Amino acid sequence: MIRSCVLILALLAPLPALAHNVISSVFPSGSDIEGEVGFSNGDMAADLLIEVFDEAGGKLGETRTDADGFFLFTPSEPVTHIFRGDLGAGHVAEVIMDAAEVAQIMGQSPSMAALAATSTADVTSASRSAGLSDQARAELATMMRNELRPLRQELTAFKNKSDFQSVLGGIGYIFGLFGLGFYIAARRRIGGKA
Amino acid sequence: MHIVDGALSNPVVIGGAVSAVGGIAMGLRNLPLERIPAAGVLSASFFVASLIHVPIGPSSVHLILNGLAGLVLGWAAFPALFVGLLLQAVFFGFGGLTVLGVNAVNIALPAVLVGLMFRPLVARGSPLQGAIWGGIGGGAAIAFTTLAVAVSLMLSGDEFILAAKLVFFSHIPVMLIEALLSGAAIFLARRVKPELFVDTKGSLA
Repeated sequence: MIRSCVLILALLAPLPALAHNVISSVFPSGSDIEGEVGFSNGDMAADLLIEVFDEAGGKLGETRTDADGFFLFTPSEPVTHIFRGDLGAGHVAEVIMDAAEVAQIMGQSPSMAALAATSTADVTSASRSAGLSDQARAELATMMRNELRPLRQELTAFKNKSDFQSVLGGIGYIFGLFGLGFYIAARRRIGGKA
Repeated sequence: MHIVDGALSNPVVIGGAVSAVGGIAMGLRNLPLERIPAAGVLSASFFVASLIHVPIGPSSVHLILNGLAGLVLGWAAFPALFVGLLLQAVFFGFGGLTVLGVNAVNIALPAVLVGLMFRPLVARGSPLQGAIWGGIGGGAAIAFTTLAVAVSLMLSGDEFILAAKLVFFSHIPVMLIEALLSGAAIFLARRVKPELFVDTKGSLA
């Protein structure tokens, strides 16, 4: 009886499902590194201190997120950048941008920066062939980044979504595991009697 | 409630892993054949309970149900909750694999403590009395868990009082809901399946 009740509870449970993970990502943005931090339920971390470290743990600098959880950091050394934000209560966001990518950002003039994002690369080269000025190209790149931002956010949220299949799959794993344990225990007991 | 990868210092992570292994061994030794199905069901309910979110203010917290597991299983709650945590980390990304040990101790140890403290009380008296003790146990398990999380954060350098306050107060609604849920579950179990609280030797466990 209690088992069937628990099972019913278990099956009803995923309906109001909302993951509660920390999501964070960094990406090149012109000569800066742009990143975002928040929870996968859509709450972004507003005005959060983001500390930047190199690989050895030395501090490179710090920045703060804006109201939408975005932060900007201008790299000064072409080394691996580790971004850390403490959201409290054991929630820590940590994202790494490796040295090659940072070097690529620093080696570029702001107008060429959009090349780092593959999706904007085609537009930039197309606009170059159309004879656009550097300034127009930079504006175009900024526009593209703004357009792609919600898409990227949605994609991150989607990746962190816990769907019905994984819930059922997890329950299946648990029952399978305990079934296996039961089998082994039962066999041991039967073997002990024989 | 789930601490994520990277939030804790290495000694805390290693210490947590070692104690988790000890707890699991202890739990498996105290898991008789008859209890394995019950452990599986409680493990599964723990696994999905984390998806039930209780909105408080702008944020939300989720159910844990470790108290109920402890009350029914005692020491055997340790491996049951560990399996649930492992799958939560793999499927939902709650917590993480490196901090699995710490999370297991934070969640399963309060369950075991509550089980040892309240289980005789839950099994005694009328079903209603048992349910009341079960409710208290369910709430206490969450309170202990918040303290354990705060201690883990403190050992890694966080300010204890601040961390404890933050985690404790944000989980007060969860404590109330879990107390009600555990109480109701115990009441039901005492009415329809009282042998759940009596071990195989016939004595009150």
